[in-house]
Amino acid sequence: MHTLIVPRDERTQPMRIVPGYPQTPWRNPQEPLIKRPPTLSELTGPSGVEKRVKLLGGDIAGHGDKQAIGQLMHLKLRVVDEDGSPVGGTLVEIWQANGAGRYIHPNDDDHAPVDANFYGAARLLTDEEGAIDLRTVKPGAYPVPTKDGWWRPPHIHFSIFGGVWLSRLVTQMYFPGEPLNGQDRILNAVPDAQARERLVARLVPPTGDPFNALVFEHQIVLRGRRATPAQP
Amino acid sequence: MIPTGEATIGPFFPPRYVDAGANDLTQFEDRKAQGEVIEIAGVVRQEDGAPLDNLVLEIWQADARGIYRHPADPRHREADAKFFGWGRAATDKQGNYAFRTIRPGAPQGRARHINVMVMFSGLMRILKTTLFFPGEQANDADPVYAAVPKARRHLLLAREEAAGRYRFDLKLRGEHETPFFDD
Repeated sequence: MHTLIVPRDERTQPMRIVPGYPQTPWRNPQEPLIKRPPTLSELTGPSGVEKRVKLLGGDIAGHGDKQAIGQLMHLKLRVVDEDGSPVGGTLVEIWQANGAGRYIHPNDDDHAPVDANFYGAARLLTDEEGAIDLRTVKPGAYPVPTKDGWWRPPHIHFSIFGGVWLSRLVTQMYFPGEPLNGQDRILNAVPDAQARERLVARLVPPTGDPFNALVFEHQIVLRGRRATPAQP
Repeated sequence: MIPTGEATIGPFFPPRYVDAGANDLTQFEDRKAQGEVIEIAGVVRQEDGAPLDNLVLEIWQADARGIYRHPADPRHREADAKFFGWGRAATDKQGNYAFRTIRPGAPQGRARHINVMVMFSGLMRILKTTLFFPGEQANDADPVYAAVPKARRHLLLAREEAAGRYRFDLKLRGEHETPFFDD
């Protein structure tokens, strides 16, 4: 299968150097990025990454006396391409803070408590419909050590492979109605308001089984559409 | 549909996502890949020269005969079944990363090369570059190499320190800045 990748609308993607995000001016290129013709090399990519890395289950909230503390939630994630076609069988890496806003990571020395029942990582394959179901607790907000009052709103991180090298995506998902969303420097680095809106999950009515949890839906669009094969 | 906005990987990418052995592409499913084993190592630095710790690199390349393990490659059925072509590494406190892989063959219309991507806290978008090998006649005609201004092309060349041992340092900004591509 051949994939067509076209340039993105810059307004729908984040600025590289973000006011108030102190690391960004040190790490982002000064020279203009170089345009190149995509070749087979960039229009192919790893498939079956789960043969090289270990999957981690999608129920990370725990059960019984091993249940994590926080607001229990289900995330119904769907991954599609620019045609809207589901991207099935692709690896999705998910990570998030616990209900108090703390990560299990040597870099996180925040005061917020660690939850012994919550590691906060899931690594899953999408099904044929491009869907993933995550049972977790809603992540807490946390302060960024910038000393000027920047707090990250609750969010969940995703790293997704897609079909080709240029479809690889790292993104974050936010929650609706959070007062910190309007001030977050990372969310608001995307200039286009509708593009920011699409980074926010949707709260949907719980149906059937997960009556004990909030249910959120979120859609992620990877780069690439199906290329029409050249006529012989 | 409009592609989702990127965001930084942040400082808290789970360490267990950099699986042991994910930076060794020389075997797949416990079988050795065909071709010459090479090592690629380097340091990643920011503008002030400070080495960057906990930065994530991924690579993607063709096998020893220049074939991609992907259905879009017309020759993919002949690809080395023991070569996966993708790897991941993270930098240590001194900014060092290392991969073991197979010297890629030259794919159709390209010089031999390795695609490299960089993900890190403070990078709102993935940075993508391409490693080329020194002394290759085919480099100058390579469409990606040739897209880079002449004065900066040498920054895409790995340096051979010993037979099969290459150094490829990355500078994200400032003096000797690595060329990155706008895809």
